[in-house]
Amino acid sequence: MADAAIHGHEHEDNRGFFTRWFMSTNHKDIGILYLFVSGLVGFISVSFTVYMRLELMEPGVQYMCLEGARFIADSTAQCTPNGHLWNVLITYHGVLMMFFVVIPALFGGFGNYFMPLQIGAPDMAFPRMNNLSFWLYVTGTALGVASLLAPGGDDQMGSGVGWVLYPPLSTTEGGYSMDLAIFAVHVSGASSILGAINMITTFLNMRAPGMTIFKVPLFAWSIFITAWLILLSLPVLAGAITMLLIDRNFGGTFFDPAGGGDPILYQHILWFFGHPEVYIVVLPGFGLISHVIATFSRKPVFGYLPMVWALIAIGALGFVVWAHHMYTVGMSLSQQSYFMLATMVIAVPTGVKIFSWIATMWGGSIEFKTPMLFAFGFLLLFTVGGVTGVVLSQAGVDRVYHDTYYVVAHFHYTMSMGAAFCIFAGIYFYIGKMSGRQYPEFLGKLHFWMFFIGVNLTFFPQHFLGRQGMPRRYIDYPEAFAHWNQISSYGAFLSFASFLLFIGIIAYTLLAGRRVTENNYWNEYADTLEWTLPCPPPEHTFEILPKQEDWDKGHAH
Amino acid sequence: MPYEWDIKISEAPAQSGALLYGKGARPSARLHIWPYRSLPRRSFASIIAGAFLLLLIPIFPLLGSSLLWGILPFAMGALALLWFFVEKSYRDGEILEELSLWPDRIYLSRTGPGRAFQEWEANPYWVRLTNHAHGGPVPDYLTLKGGGREVEIGAFLSEDERPALYDDLARALTLIKSRRAGP
Repeated sequence: MADAAIHGHEHEDNRGFFTRWFMSTNHKDIGILYLFVSGLVGFISVSFTVYMRLELMEPGVQYMCLEGARFIADSTAQCTPNGHLWNVLITYHGVLMMFFVVIPALFGGFGNYFMPLQIGAPDMAFPRMNNLSFWLYVTGTALGVASLLAPGGDDQMGSGVGWVLYPPLSTTEGGYSMDLAIFAVHVSGASSILGAINMITTFLNMRAPGMTIFKVPLFAWSIFITAWLILLSLPVLAGAITMLLIDRNFGGTFFDPAGGGDPILYQHILWFFGHPEVYIVVLPGFGLISHVIATFSRKPVFGYLPMVWALIAIGALGFVVWAHHMYTVGMSLSQQSYFMLATMVIAVPTGVKIFSWIATMWGGSIEFKTPMLFAFGFLLLFTVGGVTGVVLSQAGVDRVYHDTYYVVAHFHYTMSMGAAFCIFAGIYFYIGKMSGRQYPEFLGKLHFWMFFIGVNLTFFPQHFLGRQGMPRRYIDYPEAFAHWNQISSYGAFLSFASFLLFIGIIAYTLLAGRRVTENNYWNEYADTLEWTLPCPPPEHTFEILPKQEDWDKGHAH
Repeated sequence: MPYEWDIKISEAPAQSGALLYGKGARPSARLHIWPYRSLPRRSFASIIAGAFLLLLIPIFPLLGSSLLWGILPFAMGALALLWFFVEKSYRDGEILEELSLWPDRIYLSRTGPGRAFQEWEANPYWVRLTNHAHGGPVPDYLTLKGGGREVEIGAFLSEDERPALYDDLARALTLIKSRRAGP
């Protein structure tokens, strides 16, 4: 029998630095670790883009030379274009952003930290597996970086095959860099699947008493749906890249027509994973934005139930539209018609969400704090990306736009601005909760405006370039495209400057920010359970299950 | 409500002597307590079935292609992992506290999580039930003292259930003591 423990309940946090951060099984600490590591990888990945935009600023190749990569153009020295370096940079920008930055930040970071808090669970269902997920993610990142530096194709470092790793390009790329990249994706996939199972179990089995499934806050719901997308799509990717590995190293012919294989089939299974992947990237953001908008409009979220069902519908539809990424591979007319229609249907649940957010603000008392500015920016820019998405969904129109900068502009509007604005909104919204210190409001707003103007300057002109017919993934372009490319590059530099400012803001906040003394430093419409806790929350939270009146606000749903 | 009187004390015959544990009688009252889980078993079945069906979406078009054998193990592996871990989360929370009352014996057993098993017994006449409103690991921490030990009961119940359990137990203990009279 459990002997009574009446006095033995000391609660101070006496873990050392190493124990706390390297052996952590605490969901809040692991969430913070995820945020920091993804921020670091994000910096690497963003600096690639700055170098690429530098190269694209003017026609001709000035910086990425075979004679050696430069940072200062030198017209007197000879410069042979180094296409491999360019290909490597676009590949690793894609791979890092898709697998190692956005998902770990939103799903791993915010998901780990706030999903258990919002449902009133004391921790994740499997805290030690959570630790394993995090370190697998770090291992994956390390393998990814190793692959960048390992001998690859064209007798140079790294693989330049694009983040989608299409065969035969990926199966014939020289060196072992490609194999390392595949391992990196494998390991990060394993990490995500374990993380997803952990989230699903936590959500299903550890909700506070009385919190039925349609009373769960929207962010926790979005994490739950994302976890399902990960669980259902990543095994397919794992299978696909395992077969790539077999084709590369063991003479397999899964994707080699010479042995009866089919490279197009790889594209199908890649995009069967790839399309849910883009929703994995953005859905947790949807959840965060709902809370931010409700808080700063001082109104409960409009239409809670439709919001939940829209999340579910977006998740489900995401699995049946994959071939709209590959209209040009030679599908039958009816196949294309189906994928076109199915793709357009996604605009319906997405529209439900957008209009519900607008309706939440309608008649509310809106306060433009930094998180709300980012939420606003998200709403605007994600809608722009969504509209160009509807344009691209047309199989006929896609013939023209396929592999042009129009596509680049489209997916950066949804992901670079959609997901990144969500991450920033979430960080400014929650940094006081997570660190116990508040960010400087003016600098936060400055960051927003620099970033907002920067990314629009970068990507809006790319619509024009795409419409003029400039293809993606090339190091150079004819002079006719020079004007908008130059403007786009200026935008990229401004965005990068705003990212540096953001790093400064975080450093300032963590070291010298104003201390937060209240539990809920926004207002009573931030009404989920994490706002009942002190800032930062103690090591152990909700060991005693929360009472229903703590979270069940009558007005909310 | 994660606690339940299997045998209510009010159902037991008010006659005394035959109720004694020493004479092989069944308990006059029996209580089951278990921790709250938010996923009913029935929903667990639909979760697994749903996951299976959704995982078949990419499998179906690959029937007849060698790629099937590349994808299938991973897809079914993910399903197996999901099954295993949700099951494990049930098992981790599988604590059953069972309290049986006779006029001459009180017996409490605690099974789980896993194979852990603990028990405690005493004579109800000397047992003292205490509600530590403060100072315990949880508010309204209930303990039973007797047989030279003090043990906790229902510490994992939710905050409104523990005071209710206290009232129930106090009443049951009073009643069981009153049935000691007789030969």
